[in-house]
Amino acid sequence: MLFLVALALFNGVLIGTSRTINGRLSTRKGAFRASVWNHVVGFVFLSAVLLVLRTWPDVTDTPIAAYAGGVFGALFVAVNSYVFPRLGAMSASVLVISGQVLSAVVIDCIQQGALPAPIRLAGVVLVLLGLTLPGLSARLRQREIHPCPTEKK
Amino acid sequence: MSGGRALDWALAIAGGVLLTLMTQANAVLAGYTDALYASWAAHGLGAVVAALLALALARRAPAPDPATGDGPARAPLWYYLGGIPGALVVILSAIAVNSELALAGTVALMLTGQIIFGTVSDRFGLLHTPQRRITLMDLAVAACVLAGSVLIVAGGA
Repeated sequence: MLFLVALALFNGVLIGTSRTINGRLSTRKGAFRASVWNHVVGFVFLSAVLLVLRTWPDVTDTPIAAYAGGVFGALFVAVNSYVFPRLGAMSASVLVISGQVLSAVVIDCIQQGALPAPIRLAGVVLVLLGLTLPGLSARLRQREIHPCPTEKK
Repeated sequence: MSGGRALDWALAIAGGVLLTLMTQANAVLAGYTDALYASWAAHGLGAVVAALLALALARRAPAPDPATGDGPARAPLWYYLGGIPGALVVILSAIAVNSELALAGTVALMLTGQIIFGTVSDRFGLLHTPQRRITLMDLAVAACVLAGSVLIVAGGA
């Protein structure tokens, strides 16, 4: 079990590593070219894995729409590579995760035509609270400064 | 918060939305086929789409960026290899999801790993990233978002 926990955590580290490296490349070559390289290199790597494992599923019944992930992925890597070096790995990761989990709740809501479970709503509130914390604290600090504008620092 | 920074925030959050759409589409494809094939196909199609976007929108290399202090220059070889750890995630996460961790446990731990990596990487400037001071506010934001995300993931669909 401990091994599996470490494996899943390590997966998160790999995701961060991949996005950081793509971010570095984007500072030299631009975000769109970083996305091209990410996908070409990943494709070659996975092709090699497929060749070694020799697993080839039956793809005849697959609807074309199921391939839309490639389009979203190309856009995602470009956007993410652009913001990663600008915001830093920590802030960029936190913001991407926020957009990810909030949109997942909204999409589930629409698909099921029902409000999310209370535990998920509590999660949404916590994420939104986290995102507004910097703005809230800045406003509070401003209010502390404004009442006495004549005071010298 | 300056205007440019607000735009970066909005773009990063929009990136998360794209990531959800990508994950959902790839899960549908994996349902018809399997996780490895789905990721392989998404990488192949993604390469074509990204190449078309680069041709249409970014014919020239970027101008020097005051925010990052970088300009167009020869990139070290490893700058091109970000796709490998990304592709490795597909294989390793399939192992974790099919174990007793299940999907919720795997995703929660992967989010935690990302935030730990981001914090350490910024603090020590790993992989050529600019070193950044981690403030108490950064940690508070990360803690709220991570805790909320774990509740959302654990709360099921």
